[in-house]
Amino acid sequence: MAATLTPTNPSQSFDRQAEQARVRSERRRTAVIDLAVTLGTVVLSLALAFLVLLILGKDPVKAFTALLTGPLSRINRTGRWIEDATTLIIIGLSVTIAFRARQFSLGALGQMYVGATVAAILMIYVPMPPVIAIAVPIVAAMAAGFLIGLLPGLMKSYLGANEIVSTLMLNEIIVRFYDYLMTNVFTPKGAQALRSELVQPNSMLARLGDLFKANLGRSNIGIVFALVLVVVVWVLLARTPFGYEVRTIGANERFARYGGINTKRTIALAFALGGAVASVAGVHLLAGVHQRLIPGIAAGLGFEGIVVALLARNNPLLVPITGLFYSYLRVGGEIMEQEASVGIEIVQVIQAVIILLLTAQVLVDWVKTRNRRLADRG
Amino acid sequence: MDQVLHVVFSATFIAAVLRVTTPIVLPALGGLISELGGVGNIALEGIMLVAACTGVLISVYTKSEWLGLVAGVLMAILFALLLAFFHLELRADLILSAIALNILASGGTIFVVFLLTKDKSGTSTLISKQMPFIQIPVVKDIPVIGEIVSGQNLLTYVALLATAAVAIFLYRTRPGVHLRAVGENPEAARSVGINVRFNQYLALGLSGLLAGLGGIYLSMGYVKFFARDMTAGRGFIALAAIYLGGKTPLGTLIAALVFGAADALSVQLGNLRIPSQFVQMIPYVATLISLVVYALIQRQRVLQRQRRFRQAQTV
Repeated sequence: MAATLTPTNPSQSFDRQAEQARVRSERRRTAVIDLAVTLGTVVLSLALAFLVLLILGKDPVKAFTALLTGPLSRINRTGRWIEDATTLIIIGLSVTIAFRARQFSLGALGQMYVGATVAAILMIYVPMPPVIAIAVPIVAAMAAGFLIGLLPGLMKSYLGANEIVSTLMLNEIIVRFYDYLMTNVFTPKGAQALRSELVQPNSMLARLGDLFKANLGRSNIGIVFALVLVVVVWVLLARTPFGYEVRTIGANERFARYGGINTKRTIALAFALGGAVASVAGVHLLAGVHQRLIPGIAAGLGFEGIVVALLARNNPLLVPITGLFYSYLRVGGEIMEQEASVGIEIVQVIQAVIILLLTAQVLVDWVKTRNRRLADRG
Repeated sequence: MDQVLHVVFSATFIAAVLRVTTPIVLPALGGLISELGGVGNIALEGIMLVAACTGVLISVYTKSEWLGLVAGVLMAILFALLLAFFHLELRADLILSAIALNILASGGTIFVVFLLTKDKSGTSTLISKQMPFIQIPVVKDIPVIGEIVSGQNLLTYVALLATAAVAIFLYRTRPGVHLRAVGENPEAARSVGINVRFNQYLALGLSGLLAGLGGIYLSMGYVKFFARDMTAGRGFIALAAIYLGGKTPLGTLIAALVFGAADALSVQLGNLRIPSQFVQMIPYVATLISLVVYALIQRQRVLQRQRRFRQAQTV
């Protein structure tokens, strides 16, 4: 009883410094727990895949050696890893923006095609001086991605139309339109294979292999663009009024509306900005990876952004790490398929298990309460 | 244009519409039940894939289409209950876990097929069974109508009967009303003693059953093999059919027929000089427009209700 009357009690005299330190340590502990949960999930899903291979009578050690060391086994494979990570980081960021407002945009796939197409028109047919030949197409692609992202955003926020259905339908339409453009517009008359001409040399993103004099495959300075985008998206979400509005809506939409935030406009804008970011991934595939348009240029990238964003717990600063990690698995899967004749689809299975475990709130809470109990005891 | 009209008003075209509508209306009815139960199922696509794959594989090894059907549908229900378990017991986000299950189905089915056949495109090298096509006596001899109504796959008739069954279940039986009550307002339902969780499991389980039948139809009726991602977005078009159909069984059937007609038309128009890609877009564009139309109608209804409420107050 006596203790509650002493002036050092925080409830009596508010110690600002101690309070700040407490908040900071609490935040640090949350971050550590988040990291532990994520790592645990990954290890658990990999273990599950290992078990599946074991039961099926495959050689899981051989398969996992290929999966987990493959991307580093040869320098060109490392290049493939960096190339894939660049794309995944960008689409992961795109998904993060919408996720923060608790919206599920699955439109990244279509937005990549739109970005690649718009940039291709400029990059292939319009000669431009260096730097401008990259900057202008990127801006144009982002504008197009913004508009194509705005459509499902407006449909969702002003009409209440299901964004999952609308973004998926838009993807299907865009993919077919792209296919049409590929066969009838971009492929030169009389060409053998279905592919466009190369983009202008000034528009090509410099290959890392040329810069470092190593066989780094198709990896390119797009990775730098991706990292710049990480900072841009972080500033946007953490340090601007728009970011505050998005986070408030994500926490509690009704409260946000009650607090005077124009929730409809902000949600639509979040969709649109996600589209603008995703379209940059399309530009990277065009100008950095293939240096021309090819059929299905963004094939198989539909849901990858979601995993990257989820693993990063919607924190843009963590997206580069999770993007690198997840593309490591993807590239490792390709190598595993070649070397151990285990289908790359096992990576899809791992991906699904990761999403399931990461969204299972009960598991996360269980880890947290356990941790707290341990902390209290210790 | 003349050619198009000629095509549309032929008996073969209408029969074709019924064929392509079947794998849309079955998952749509399933999705409708889960939607009305308050647990909208986005994993219809994955559930269909799992059922289609299981059905084919079991029919290959047991040489019985019926065992294939039963196994496929059971797997579909299990898959749907897995979604229910993650959402209801582990409090996972319903949409995200459904997306995960779609990915799991897409990767898992091909993984298994690859193990068994060393072929990643599908099971075309295996000899699988097909659900029977039914010739209805007497009816089959009636000109035009016979061509449409008779000779369809068993599951096409099942789809039509299921529409009626789902309507009766939802609006004329006690469990159906309870299920809708849970979807409308879980707290209110709980307060009058309805087991909320049981009904949510039931809603998702039934959606698995119906989507599973749709999947079986794809691989054991529409064609006779399983192919990679053979659902091709039908699980999502089914979702759109629910909305376009105003969340009623009959409306859902009609909406599914509209999508089916668009799909069948795209096959027929392939012969004309319209680029195939544009023709293939039709169902998706129709879905997108229907989403907007449905949303606008809903909004109009809400506004009307508000106006009536205000009028009632002023009087």
